[in-house]
Amino acid sequence: MSLELFLFLVFAAVAAVSGILMITRSEVVMAALFLILNLASLAGLYLLLNAQFIAVVQVIVYAGAIMVLFLFVIMLLRPEHEKIVTKISGIRTFAFIIAALVFVQLAYVILKSHPGSALNSDVTASVNAGTVESIGTELYTNYILPFEAAGFLLLAATIGAVVLAKRKFE
Amino acid sequence: MNVDYLVNSLYLIKPELAIASALVLLVLIDLIMGNNKKFLPYVAIAGLIAAAYFIIGQFGMNSLAFVSKSNKGMIIADPFGAFFKGIVVFASLFVVYFSIKSDEIKASFERHGEYYTLIFGMILGMFFMISASDLILIYISLELVSFSSYVLAGFTKTALRNSEAALKYVIYGGVSSGIMLFGISILYGITGSTNLYEINSLIQSSSIPNLTFILSGILIFVGIGYKISAAPFHFWTPDVYEGAPITITAFLSVASKAAGFALLIRFIKITFIKSVDSAGYWQLVDLIDWKTFFIFLSIITMTLGNFAALWQDNLKRMLAYSSIAHAGYLLLGMAVLSNQGMIAIIIYFAVYAITNLGAFFVVMLIANKIGSENIDDYKGLGYSQPFLGVSLAIFLISLTGLPPTAGFIGKLYLFIALVDAKMITLAVIALLNSVVALYYYIRVLKNLFLSRPANGTFEFKVSFSNGLVLVLLAAPIIILGIYFTPLVDLAKNSMQILGF
Repeated sequence: MSLELFLFLVFAAVAAVSGILMITRSEVVMAALFLILNLASLAGLYLLLNAQFIAVVQVIVYAGAIMVLFLFVIMLLRPEHEKIVTKISGIRTFAFIIAALVFVQLAYVILKSHPGSALNSDVTASVNAGTVESIGTELYTNYILPFEAAGFLLLAATIGAVVLAKRKFE
Repeated sequence: MNVDYLVNSLYLIKPELAIASALVLLVLIDLIMGNNKKFLPYVAIAGLIAAAYFIIGQFGMNSLAFVSKSNKGMIIADPFGAFFKGIVVFASLFVVYFSIKSDEIKASFERHGEYYTLIFGMILGMFFMISASDLILIYISLELVSFSSYVLAGFTKTALRNSEAALKYVIYGGVSSGIMLFGISILYGITGSTNLYEINSLIQSSSIPNLTFILSGILIFVGIGYKISAAPFHFWTPDVYEGAPITITAFLSVASKAAGFALLIRFIKITFIKSVDSAGYWQLVDLIDWKTFFIFLSIITMTLGNFAALWQDNLKRMLAYSSIAHAGYLLLGMAVLSNQGMIAIIIYFAVYAITNLGAFFVVMLIANKIGSENIDDYKGLGYSQPFLGVSLAIFLISLTGLPPTAGFIGKLYLFIALVDAKMITLAVIALLNSVVALYYYIRVLKNLFLSRPANGTFEFKVSFSNGLVLVLLAAPIIILGIYFTPLVDLAKNSMQILGF
C-alpha cells in the first residue's frame, strides 16, 4: 500500500465518520465541532490531490472563519431551548429523498463518466498547477475579468449587509 | 509578461467600464456629500447615458475580449449583446426616474446612496450576464445581480411584506444558484473547460457520457430559469414582485428578465450548436433534447402564469403572474430553435420592456396618491383621470397582444415563427392562453371605465414631467403597433451572435 493510498483512506474515513457523527449529535455544539473535523480532513484530501492552495483556503476559510460564524449563530440563538424533533416527519422523508438523489447522481457521475479522462488534456496540467503562484498568475491574467467582477460582488454584498443591518437601529 | 491583450480588451468592454465607474462614483459622492442626496440620481443618469453611448458603438463590433493563449475569451462584444444591454440601460433610465418620483423610495431618503449603488451593481451584473462567454464569469455575474436585488427587494424598511419578499427571494435564489453551480462543476468535470466556445468544439468531436451531460445542462438551466421565472422555478416571483418597492419590481420584471433571456440564448446557441442551416434553423448537438424541453417548459409556464393571474386582486401581483406568462411566450421562441424564433424573441422583448415599464409607472403614480394597488380601488379611474386611465388601458391591451398596439406585433412574429416551424399545436395552445390573459386584463379595464368612482378618490394632478414620461412610454406602443418596420430591422441587426 502506497503512502498516498494510506493517507487517502485515513482522511476519507475521518471525513465520513465525522460527517455521520455530525448529523446524529443532538447537541449543536458537538455537531459543529465534528463539522470542523470533517472540513479539516477534506483539506487533507485536497492536499493529496496536489491542490495546496485550496487546502490552505479550506482550513482558513471553512474550518476557521465560517465555523466561527456557526458558533456565533449557535451562541445567539441559544438552541438549548429548542425542541428536538425525534419522530420521522414529512420533512425528514423529503430530506432523505433529496440526499439519496444527490448520492445516486454523484455516484453515477463518478463511476460512469470517468472523470479522470476528461476531454480536454489541459486538465492534467491544471491538476499539477495547484500552487499559489500559478493560481495567482491565472487570476491576474486570464481570469482578471471574473476576478474584478467578484470584487464588485463583494462590494455589493458589503453595502447590502450595511443596508440590512442599519435598518434595525433607525 | 505581455499585457497588451488586456489593455486592448478594455476597449471592448467600455459600457461595463462606464457602469463600474459610475458605481464607484456613486459610493464616493454619497460619502462626501453626506446628507445632500439630490445629486445621486443625476450621477446615475449620467453614467447610464455614457453606457448607452458606448453600447451604440458596440452594434458594429464582433469580437471576443480577454483572449489569451490558454483562454478563448471571457466576454463578447457583438450586436446581440448590445441590444440586450440597450434594453437594460433603457429600463434603468426609467427606473431611476421612477425612483425620483416614488414616495416609497423618498421615505427612505437617508439610504439613497446605497439604493443607487445597488441598482448599479445589478446593471453591471446584467451586462456581464449578457455578454459573458465563460461559465465562471456567468456564475459571478448571476450572483452579482442576485445579491443586489435581494437587498433592493427588502429595501423599504417599514413594510412587513417587504422583508418577507426579500427573505423568500434569498432562499430561492440561494438554492437555485447552488444547483446551477453544481451543474457547472459537472460540465467542467466532463469537458475540462469553462469557456463556452471551447466546450462547443469539445462536445462535437468526442463521445460524451450522455446522461451526465443532460444532468449538467438541466442543472445549469435551473439557475437561468430562476432568473427568467420559468415555471417550476417561479415560486418567488409573485411574492417578491408584490413585496418589493415598485421601482424594483419594474426593474426586475424587465431588466433582470432581459439579462436572463440573453444568457439563455447565448448559452444554448454557443454551447450546443453544430450548424445553422440555410433556413436559419439551429442544428444542435444531439446530447440534450432542448426542443422538447423548451416546449414543455413554455406550455407549463404560460398556462400557470395566466391561470394564476385570473384570481389576483392586487395589480402588482397580477402583473407578476402576467410576467411569468410572458416568460412562457418568450420560451416559445426558444423552442423553435431558429434564427426566426430569435428575431421574434428580440421583437417581443423590446415591446414587453416598454409596455411593462409603462404599466408599473401608472401603478406607481396611482399608489403614490391613493396608497393602494388593489384592482377594486381603481374603480372609475378612467373618468376622473382620463389620461392615466387611457395610458394604463394602452399598456394592458399591449400586454394582452391585441392590435393596434405593439404587443400584437410581438405575438404575431412569435406565432409566425411557430407556424413556419410546423409547430401548430403549440401555436394553438399559446393562442388559447392569450384568450385567458384577455380576461384578467379586461377585468382591470372594466373597473377603470365601466364603474363610477367613489366621490373624491382621484382628486390629484399628474405633473408635467410625469405626463411627458408617460407619453414617451405610451406613444411608441401605438406607433410601433402600426409602423413596425424599424423594430423588425433592429431585431434583424441584433440577432448576430459572435461565431454563428
